[in-house]
Amino acid sequence: MSPLSDDDLARTLAETVTADPAVARLDGGVFGAVATYLPGGRLVGVRVDPDPTAPVEVAVVLHLGAPIPTVVAGLRARIARVLGDRPVDLTVSDVVAGPVDVQVEI
Amino acid sequence: MSTPSTPSSATTTTASAASTAGSPARIAEDTTQGKTTIAASVVQKIAGIAAREISGVHSMGGGVSRAFGAIRERIPGGGTGASNIAGVQVEVGEKQAAVDLDLVVEYGASIVDLARAVRRNVITAVERMTGLEVIEVNIAVNDIHLPEEDDDVTPTPAAVPAPSRVE
Repeated sequence: MSPLSDDDLARTLAETVTADPAVARLDGGVFGAVATYLPGGRLVGVRVDPDPTAPVEVAVVLHLGAPIPTVVAGLRARIARVLGDRPVDLTVSDVVAGPVDVQVEI
Repeated sequence: MSTPSTPSSATTTTASAASTAGSPARIAEDTTQGKTTIAASVVQKIAGIAAREISGVHSMGGGVSRAFGAIRERIPGGGTGASNIAGVQVEVGEKQAAVDLDLVVEYGASIVDLARAVRRNVITAVERMTGLEVIEVNIAVNDIHLPEEDDDVTPTPAAVPAPSRVE
């Protein structure tokens, strides 16, 4: 489906997701199971199933600020530009006190 | 919202009692595009921050959970926001969440008004931030903070790390 190999797809996805300003970092999910084993290290937060029809798993820690459903919709749009219409299971594992906009909100 | 929250502590919710903190909540988005999950600790943290925003709330948690918070802060990876979730228990289902709060209030605050303000702020914050419907917020005020206690109470165990005893 995708011309990229699974490893390259995982790397590209990690870059795409962390490029969103609302994302603090990638996360391993509940048991740290959301990860890709690459030569040279483990990429935590993205798991591309070898089965091309199975959903890709992504787990993130978000900055508090914007409503999470809004942020998730934006993230899905970013991911869809890489993945096309392959399904994505997205987990918000945690939140951290946000950068600037949270102070404004209080 | 639809059901008036009862003040009794023995409440039954639609979610199973076993699904407490740690179990993921699922937003009703199980489309062909995949599903989105929001961890219970996210709801817990948002509720804790929203409750603390109300002035008159001195700190949160009973003696036990404040002690656990102090322990948790010393564990690497135990959560940087451990002080945010002391005194907050959540139960999350697929579309709804229930929140239990333990508060320590400032002396002089009207507890009824304060509880109402806390409840409103927590409901607004959790519903807006996560999209989950908050069905109830149970508030237990388990201590009151007197101003003259300030000198020995200000360094709350959860907020200030104890000075190291060894060099």
